[in-house]
Amino acid sequence: MASSSIIHASSVAKRYGDFEALSRFDLEVAKGECVGLLGPNGAGKTTFIGCLYGVVLRSSGDLTIFGHDPALNSRAIKSRLGVVPQENALDEGLTVRENMRIYARFGGLTGKPADERIDELLGLMSLESKSDNMIRMLSGGMKRRLTFVRALLSDPELLVLDEPTTGLDPSVRHLLWEKVIDLKKSGKTILVTTHYMHEAEILCDRIVVLNKGEAVGVGKPKDMIAREAPGFVGIFPTESEDELRKHVPPEWDLYQQSDQCCVRAPEFGDLITLQQRAGIDALQLRPANLEDVYLKLTGHELEEADVSIS
Amino acid sequence: MSAFLESWKLGWHVVVRNWVIYRKDFLANISPTLADPALIMFSLGLGLSPFIGEIGGYSYAQYLAPGMIATTALFTAFFECSYGFYVRMTFENIFKAMLTTPIGVKEVVIGEFMWVFIRASLMAFGVSLVLLTLGLVPNLWALAICPLIAGFLSLPCAAIGLLAACLVRNINQFQTVYSFLIAPTYFLSAVFFPLDGRPFLTGLVQLSPFYHGVRLLQCTVWGEFPWAEIAWHITAILLFTLALGTLATRQVIKKLTV
Repeated sequence: MASSSIIHASSVAKRYGDFEALSRFDLEVAKGECVGLLGPNGAGKTTFIGCLYGVVLRSSGDLTIFGHDPALNSRAIKSRLGVVPQENALDEGLTVRENMRIYARFGGLTGKPADERIDELLGLMSLESKSDNMIRMLSGGMKRRLTFVRALLSDPELLVLDEPTTGLDPSVRHLLWEKVIDLKKSGKTILVTTHYMHEAEILCDRIVVLNKGEAVGVGKPKDMIAREAPGFVGIFPTESEDELRKHVPPEWDLYQQSDQCCVRAPEFGDLITLQQRAGIDALQLRPANLEDVYLKLTGHELEEADVSIS
Repeated sequence: MSAFLESWKLGWHVVVRNWVIYRKDFLANISPTLADPALIMFSLGLGLSPFIGEIGGYSYAQYLAPGMIATTALFTAFFECSYGFYVRMTFENIFKAMLTTPIGVKEVVIGEFMWVFIRASLMAFGVSLVLLTLGLVPNLWALAICPLIAGFLSLPCAAIGLLAACLVRNINQFQTVYSFLIAPTYFLSAVFFPLDGRPFLTGLVQLSPFYHGVRLLQCTVWGEFPWAEIAWHITAILLFTLALGTLATRQVIKKLTV
């Protein structure tokens, strides 16, 4: 284990009876690094995050954060950790300031220093005018930003963000991602789960793709694209699949996605040629991105169990 | 040792949190706790006294008074830790956020017990004060001791509440716990009638921490000091606190971690 490792996970597994939510999961996160956990719902991302601060007790494997085992000494970890959980879990009946004071106190910060820290962070998240508002009166985006404030109160070295922007409108999402980039620049170590591939590609130094509890791909976003889904993607109308198949060489990738037919070819020119030969215009031509990697690694189709409606 | 003190400090933060929420709705929160005993003292104490005459040398109002202090402790603790804790855990989800901070499950439990102890003591003080003005609590000495007994009595009652909060499958099942455990305990533990000459019932209620609290409060308020019996009741309350507290802590850990 490298001395600069903030998170060290080796063969971490979590079983519930026969069900394995996480199996043989390895991860090293260095200081200042930003690592993205991608994967479908139920892939084990939140399970792993729970293991980090001791609310999920792992079944086996080695896990240390800041050199401490969360099963033995979670408090030493939690004093240096900030979490934005999937659910905000704010005290709806309190004002913004009242609620943040409570959480500042949990981290050992009271009185004037607490208020100064709260003001600073509310400013950072553009919530300074809301400090005396009731939390239940805030919009969804404001509540999410407030959850960021809460996570940052104790100036943590490690930030864990569990789907920080799910369900938010694009402007709030961009604002939050900008803040996350700033936090990363300020030297914080970040572990983030998200379903927004584009943002993960920009933000994360490294990506881990999880599927059914197992890591199915690890690497830098660019490397993963080059390795798993290199080239360019043409998106065609779904009914053109049969015609396209006649012209697509077997080493290319052809699959149905969102009622569209996708073709991945090594070169951009290949797709132009394909359009001409098949006589079909693509809806879109673009470089392959992390989403293509994600879909390839986690399967292009939903599991049968997920789609069968009987 | 320092880790132990740190746990209590963090537990105290949970108390502060509960207080901040509680004071938001202060009147609505304290009024039932004070209104219920007042209603019972008025309806049963005043209403039935003329028909009942004396019990062991006390008027019926005098007989009821200490039981009202005990009842305050029982209901404050049980409802706070059953419904209250369940709502905090299930609907408000506050522990999902709280447990990401240095607060751990152990501190959550310590905080709940401290909070209930303080609340029950203060409520019992309020009730005792009213009873004092009515001449039903004899002196300031009793006024000081009663809240303390109520505080310790509230601990095993809180543990029962926490156990219920962890074991019910939905919020409606608290009604069952109330009807078949809390209400019988309340009505049969010598609050409303003496158990003299009822050996079976006397034996049965020994199993309820509430009965021991009722007897301690009766001794205090009536100024009777059968020391051997008092020692037994104190021991029983401490043992119940230890046993039920341990069980409750285990259940809460099971509930809040997976």
